[in-house]
Amino acid sequence: MRSSSSLKRDFLKKWVTSLQICSFSIRGTSVLERKKAIKLSADLAMASARKGTTCWSRALIANASKDDNNKVLIEHILGSHEYERSKQASIGSLMCNKRIRCKKILKKSFRMRRVPKKSCEPRMVIASSLAKRFIKKRTQFLRSLVPGGEFMDDISLMEETLDYIVSLRAQVDVMKTLVCATELVNCN
Amino acid sequence: MMDRTIPEMFHCTDLTVLERQKARLNWQQEHLQQQQQQSFFSELSGVFSSVPSYQSGGGFISGADSELGEVLARAVKPDPGLENGWSDMGFGPCGGYGSGSGFELNYTLSGTSSCPPSVAAEATVMEVKDKMSSAVGRESFKKRKADKAQCPKVVDKDNTKEKRIKGSAEEGDSKITEQNNSLINRETSADTSKDNSKASEVQKPDYIHVRARRGEATDSHSIAERVRREKISERMKYLQELVPGCNKITGKAGMLDEIINYVQSLQRQVEFLSMKLAAVNPRLEFNIDNFFSKDVFPACAATFPTIGMSLSAITDSAYLQFNPANQVVSCCGLDMSINPPDMGLRRTVSVPVSIPETIMDSSCFAQLQPPSTWDADLQNLYNVPFEHGTSSSSFPFQPYTGTIEGSILKVEM
Repeated sequence: MRSSSSLKRDFLKKWVTSLQICSFSIRGTSVLERKKAIKLSADLAMASARKGTTCWSRALIANASKDDNNKVLIEHILGSHEYERSKQASIGSLMCNKRIRCKKILKKSFRMRRVPKKSCEPRMVIASSLAKRFIKKRTQFLRSLVPGGEFMDDISLMEETLDYIVSLRAQVDVMKTLVCATELVNCN
Repeated sequence: MMDRTIPEMFHCTDLTVLERQKARLNWQQEHLQQQQQQSFFSELSGVFSSVPSYQSGGGFISGADSELGEVLARAVKPDPGLENGWSDMGFGPCGGYGSGSGFELNYTLSGTSSCPPSVAAEATVMEVKDKMSSAVGRESFKKRKADKAQCPKVVDKDNTKEKRIKGSAEEGDSKITEQNNSLINRETSADTSKDNSKASEVQKPDYIHVRARRGEATDSHSIAERVRREKISERMKYLQELVPGCNKITGKAGMLDEIINYVQSLQRQVEFLSMKLAAVNPRLEFNIDNFFSKDVFPACAATFPTIGMSLSAITDSAYLQFNPANQVVSCCGLDMSINPPDMGLRRTVSVPVSIPETIMDSSCFAQLQPPSTWDADLQNLYNVPFEHGTSSSSFPFQPYTGTIEGSILKVEM
C-alpha cells in the first residue's frame, strides 16, 4: 500500500482538476447542488487516486457513471480509456447483482424451512446462532456502506474496507485542509 | 567465509541472481573437476591429513560444532573445509566461491548426497556426531565422504521429527512451520538442483500449510472454511489497528459495529466538509484556477492583493500569522494550513499580531517577489509531505524548515 501522504497528494491533484471541471456547472446554483458536485468530485478523485486497483473505487466510479450528468466529469478525471473499462465493470457488476439475487431467493427458501427446527435446539446453539446472525447483519450493513460491497465475499470485503477507510481518512484530511484554508481567507 | 555461510543458509539468501549464477557456474566447474579427481582420492587422503590448512579447517568445524550443535549446520560445514583443502592443494579453481557461498554449500551437499549410499548405509546420528567431533585432520577421505553422504539424511530425519512434534503440538505457530517448509524445500531443491533452475532455491511454497487440530474435521470443505475464517480474522486484526478505539473490543460483532460506525462517521465527515466548502466558498473555481494553472501565475502575482483567494496566498498569510517576525515567503506554508482547523484557529488566536498587519506583510512581500517564486511554491505544494496531524510533536519543526527553505529561495534570487 502506498503511503498516505502520496495518496493525499494524488487525491488533491485529481480533486483540484475535477473541481475545475465541475466549477462551470456549479456556478450560480444552490448550496445543495454545489455540495453534491463537490462531494461527487471528491469521491471520484479519491477513486481515481487508487487507480482502479480496488473494488470499491471501481464500484464508486461505476455507480457515478450511471447518472448521465456525471459522465463528462468522470471522463475527464479518468481519461477515456479507463472510462470504457469502468463501463464494462459496471455491466459486470449488474450481472453479478442478478446472480446474487438468485442466491438470496435460495437462501430465503432455506431459512423458511429451517425455522421450525430451531425451536427444539438447546440454548447454547440458539445463542451461537444468534451471534452468527448479529455478525451477518452487521456484515450486510457494512456491505451497504462500502461501495461495491454487495458483490464481495467476506474476505475481500474486509480488505476493501481496510483500503476504503485509509482513503476516506486521506480524503477527510485533505478536505479539512481546504476548508480551513478557505475559512482563513474569508476571515481576512 | 564460515561466518557468512551459516546465516545465509538459515535465512533466505538475498544474493542477486547474477551472483548466484556465478557461484553456480563456478561450482559446476568445481564439481566436474571433483569428479575427475575421484580416482585420486585414495592418494589424496594421506596428503590431506598432513596439510595444516585442512587441519585448521577441521578444527574450526569441531569448534563451531560445539557452538551450534545442529545437524543441519554440521551437514553443511565439512564442505568449506574440503574446499579450502583443495584450493591449498592446487586442485580446482576456488575463485568466486566466497560470493555465493551459501549456494555453493547447497550444491556441494547435493553433490555429496549423490554419492553411492552403500558407503554410509548404516551410520546413525550419533556416529556422525562422533565423527565430526574427531574430524580434526586425522580422518581419511572416505570417512569424510561417508559423513557427507549421511548428513542430508540426518537433516531429513530431523525435519521429519520436527514435523511429527509439530503435528502433535498446537497449530498456531505458522511462522515456524513456514520456516521449516522453506528448509525442506531448500533441501529437496539441493538434492535435485543439479539440473534445476536456481529459482527453486529461493522459492517459497505457493500453498498454504493447513493442519487440522485434534478433533477437527479434515475434509476439504471444513478445512477451506477454517482457512477462510482465519483470513477474515486476520483482516479484522488489521482493521482493529486501523480503527481508533477498536482495540479494546473483543468479539466480532462489536468490532464490526465499531468499524461500521467509523466508516459512517468518515462518510458523514466528507458530506459535512463538502457542504461546508460549498457554503463557505461560492467562487470555488476561482481560487483553484489561479492556484494550479501555472500560466496564470504572473498575473496572480501582480494582482495578488485583490485576488487573495488563491490557496498559496492563504498558506502564506497563514504562515506569516504564525511567524510574524520572519518575513519569509514560506514554501512550507501548506504544512501549517494542513492542520486540522481547530489547530489553525488556535494558533491564529494565540498570535498577538493583528490580522491586517499580516495581510500587509504578505501582500507587500508578494509584490516584491518575482513570479518565479510562485512556481516554486506550487512545486512545493505538490511535494509537501502531508505529515501533519498524526503527530503533534513533529510540529515545532515545520516553521523551522519553512524559514530555511525560504532563505534558500532568497539566496537563489
